[in-house]
Amino acid sequence: MFRARGCTRESEARYVPTPAMSTPPAASAPQSSVGCPFCGLLCDDLTVELAAGAPIVASRGCGKSRQLFALADDGPAGARVDGREATTEIALARAAEILRAASQPLLLTAGIDVAGMRALLELADRTGAVVDHANADAMFRNLLVLQDGGWISTTLTEVRNRADLLVSAGTDIVGRFPRFFERCFGDAQAMFVDGEREAWFLGAAPAGLPDSIARRATAIAVDRARLGEIFATLRALEAGKALGVAHVAGVPRERLEVLLARMRAARYGVLAWAAADLDFPHAELAIQGMCELVKALNAKGRFAALPLGGTDGDVTAMQVSTWQSGYPLRVSFAGGAPVFDPVRYRARRMLEAGEADAVLFVSALDPACAPPASDAPTIVLGRPGTRSQQAAVFVPLATPGIHHAGHLYRTDSVVAVRLRKLADTRHLSAARALSAILRAIGDGR
Amino acid sequence: MIRLRGGCVIDPANGLNGEPRDLYLHEGRIVAPPAAGARIDREIDLGGMVVMAGAIDLHTHIGGGKVNIARAMLPEDHRGDPVARGPLTRSGSGRAAPSTLITGYRYAEMGYTACFEPAVLPVNARQAHMEMGDTPIVDKGGYAMLGSDDFLLRMMAERADQGRINDYVAWTLRASQCLGIKVVNPGGISAFKFNARSLDVDQPHPYYRVTPRAVLQTLTRALHELSVPHPLHVHASNLGVPGNVDATLATMDAAEGLPIHLTHIQFHSYGTEGERRFSSAAARIADAINRQANVSADVGQIMFGQTVTASGDTMAQHRNAGHAHPNKWVCMDIECDAGCGVVPFRYRDGNFVNALQWAIGLEIFLRVTDPWRIFLTTDHPNGAPFTSYPHLIRLLMDRGFRNEKLAQIHPDAAAHSELGRLEREYSLYEIAIMTRAAPARILGLKDRGHLGVGAAADVTVYADLPDRERMFSAPEYVFKDGELVARRGGVVKVTQGATHVVRPDFDRGIEKRLREYFDRYHTIAFDNFAIADDELIDCGSRGPIVHPCVREGR
Repeated sequence: MFRARGCTRESEARYVPTPAMSTPPAASAPQSSVGCPFCGLLCDDLTVELAAGAPIVASRGCGKSRQLFALADDGPAGARVDGREATTEIALARAAEILRAASQPLLLTAGIDVAGMRALLELADRTGAVVDHANADAMFRNLLVLQDGGWISTTLTEVRNRADLLVSAGTDIVGRFPRFFERCFGDAQAMFVDGEREAWFLGAAPAGLPDSIARRATAIAVDRARLGEIFATLRALEAGKALGVAHVAGVPRERLEVLLARMRAARYGVLAWAAADLDFPHAELAIQGMCELVKALNAKGRFAALPLGGTDGDVTAMQVSTWQSGYPLRVSFAGGAPVFDPVRYRARRMLEAGEADAVLFVSALDPACAPPASDAPTIVLGRPGTRSQQAAVFVPLATPGIHHAGHLYRTDSVVAVRLRKLADTRHLSAARALSAILRAIGDGR
Repeated sequence: MIRLRGGCVIDPANGLNGEPRDLYLHEGRIVAPPAAGARIDREIDLGGMVVMAGAIDLHTHIGGGKVNIARAMLPEDHRGDPVARGPLTRSGSGRAAPSTLITGYRYAEMGYTACFEPAVLPVNARQAHMEMGDTPIVDKGGYAMLGSDDFLLRMMAERADQGRINDYVAWTLRASQCLGIKVVNPGGISAFKFNARSLDVDQPHPYYRVTPRAVLQTLTRALHELSVPHPLHVHASNLGVPGNVDATLATMDAAEGLPIHLTHIQFHSYGTEGERRFSSAAARIADAINRQANVSADVGQIMFGQTVTASGDTMAQHRNAGHAHPNKWVCMDIECDAGCGVVPFRYRDGNFVNALQWAIGLEIFLRVTDPWRIFLTTDHPNGAPFTSYPHLIRLLMDRGFRNEKLAQIHPDAAAHSELGRLEREYSLYEIAIMTRAAPARILGLKDRGHLGVGAAADVTVYADLPDRERMFSAPEYVFKDGELVARRGGVVKVTQGATHVVRPDFDRGIEKRLREYFDRYHTIAFDNFAIADDELIDCGSRGPIVHPCVREGR
């Protein structure tokens, strides 16, 4: 049975880094302005040095980057077919056989770069597959709003230089994007913010805020699943409606009136949320309420939405799928032309319904992203340490930004960060592995 | 070597107007007739057919963030036009914001061999090049957007030396791998971030106190002094606003005689006469273009039906968002660099304003006398998808057809327009100028847009059909770099195009100031901003073609 939900992270990565067996390369000079592929902020100001062939974040890292850069990928993990060691060529040939024989393959990504996504879509086109991303449940909470009403949004450098007010809706910004406040809404120098910045948190204020923000932070305790009510109320108040209730979702109306007054007074306000944290039924309606409030506030002033995501290459997958097929994931190529259906082509639903008879899971960034359990034969192309015990085929992958150059899109969908090669590996990039499978399938279909 | 025998060659750059000629294609180039006995690998008889250089679209939104927002926002746009995978081609979807692969195929099938994305935000240039890299067959290029970026506005507010600004402009061209510079609503995208809702040509920016006129003067001068071939590509102030003709004329004036290109000028040619306070100012605009040899324009013709507007002009797009059809839209402030707005729109022939917009565009085409300075665009997809070009060509070439269509639009709009009295019909020679020779010349592409010896072997061959729409929809043969890529409206070979760029010299001292700016204010590192050639190829380009920056007399 299928158990995985989104990009389910194992409680701990199973893979234990082992020292490289070859002679450590000569110590190389630390590299600066290194891009970090491991969350949607795509910080590109890290300093990284190599120690025994493994990259070590020397400065400007966060806990996540330090951990995921340092995983050595040169350990014993090699390709496997049905649990037995195999050469990469044999494993890729077996993967091609499985996909060729399948009548409905499902290609599920959880973290590959632009080149990898291009190869994945070409493979999907060739094999008549369905394409989805492990984080797509969260992504479609936003995409359904984009496709129904749209929004006014902003990007990280605008937030850093312009935002005097941040309202966070039910989101653990620090937990998901550890350097957000340091880089975008903290003490960093800004072009247009001279006074102090103010932050409001609907839900608990996250731990780890910079002092200057924590001092001026206001938290309104509210159940995330009731954010829709909160924003409906704010919209009604903004529209000048009289409300005959004293509390909404447990929050005194006066508190919301104060918040709205603050939002109206902002010179450039930002409303941020991570759809991944808004995991309740029909969260898209709450998000639409947020976006419509932001639109309304722009009748007189300036306010912008900041949907936070981009981790595990999810924005990258959405971008490439959109420009190549016309649709932002959950696309089927089974009929020759792409067909989009965010309900029907949801990977989890398809697997639960037994509608896919082969699964290819590809994840080159975080080995804690686990492939879905499935009765269908599963091909796992993953960073060493990715759970693959049940896989029919496992091929270890190189990581973009460590072992090869590549591009990933940031949370705001605007900036594609150029990632560098820092270290050697014997593993293939996702793009190369997927292209090899495509070649092995040939023109037969 | 391929011999194209006996076609009627229309090659305005070389003064040929339909004379039967043999053309020889070898190793991607047009070559001189070989010596007798030379080996000809393939010969194609083109007797009676019309031969032109591959067409060039100098303003089409085919790649970059706002186009992809339009795609993602409008699944209904694609559902009506699914494209299945073929033996040679990938699947995708068409219509107003087609997927990239389909965009490349359809341009090639229409005889186009080069397309230029006019709104590349420098910070989003990678995405533009990636999408263009996934747009096969045709060559591509982009114009980098400046004029609402805080770096330039700060320099101008500090009254920086023009030479330093030139360095910044040249650095931007290089860093973003672009061929030209575009300004969109000069200063206005930035002003919108400061909550300004309009910015007229002589109105100071709310924060920097710099006027749009000063931005225009500074950038036209920069490109002139850097000898960049393509003039400043200008999306003027007050797009879509009744009475904006005055701002458009002021914009021309701001160039002070230096070359300036006004894009989608139809959207900037509106008066305020009549009971609806909306009227055609096409005659005034056309007169101004006719009078000023430094001015060129593309039209941005609208066609009736559903499309989507995608623009860097957040101020105008937010103003027009109430007209969104279907009712959804996006505006975005971007990286202290620029912005974008995406508003789906349906132009209706029974709507007075839309009908008059249609007539105004055609009026401008017909009233501007010099086809070297007026270009055929729909501002794809803002006025209409690029696939409507054959229809537009017929409207220009066939007065009877045009008047038939005029009779179908809102009667008051028809009555308010002088279109019905304009007798001009474009000739094939003039169409060849405005879609080939002139775009190549104004972009500085010396070996494109013509069929002389040494030119790139980008060749389009049409059956000479009286129905010009049919003729231009599906050319008989299309060659790209000497290879047959399309036949009778279908792709027969998929190739990859190059990226046209310019790289004017500049003093690298500007990078010190840029680095400080990035370190202090930006969320990406200066070291990671510029796109190197190997990265451009990773993005999907065949590679850059660098065009020289040398100033020449006309």
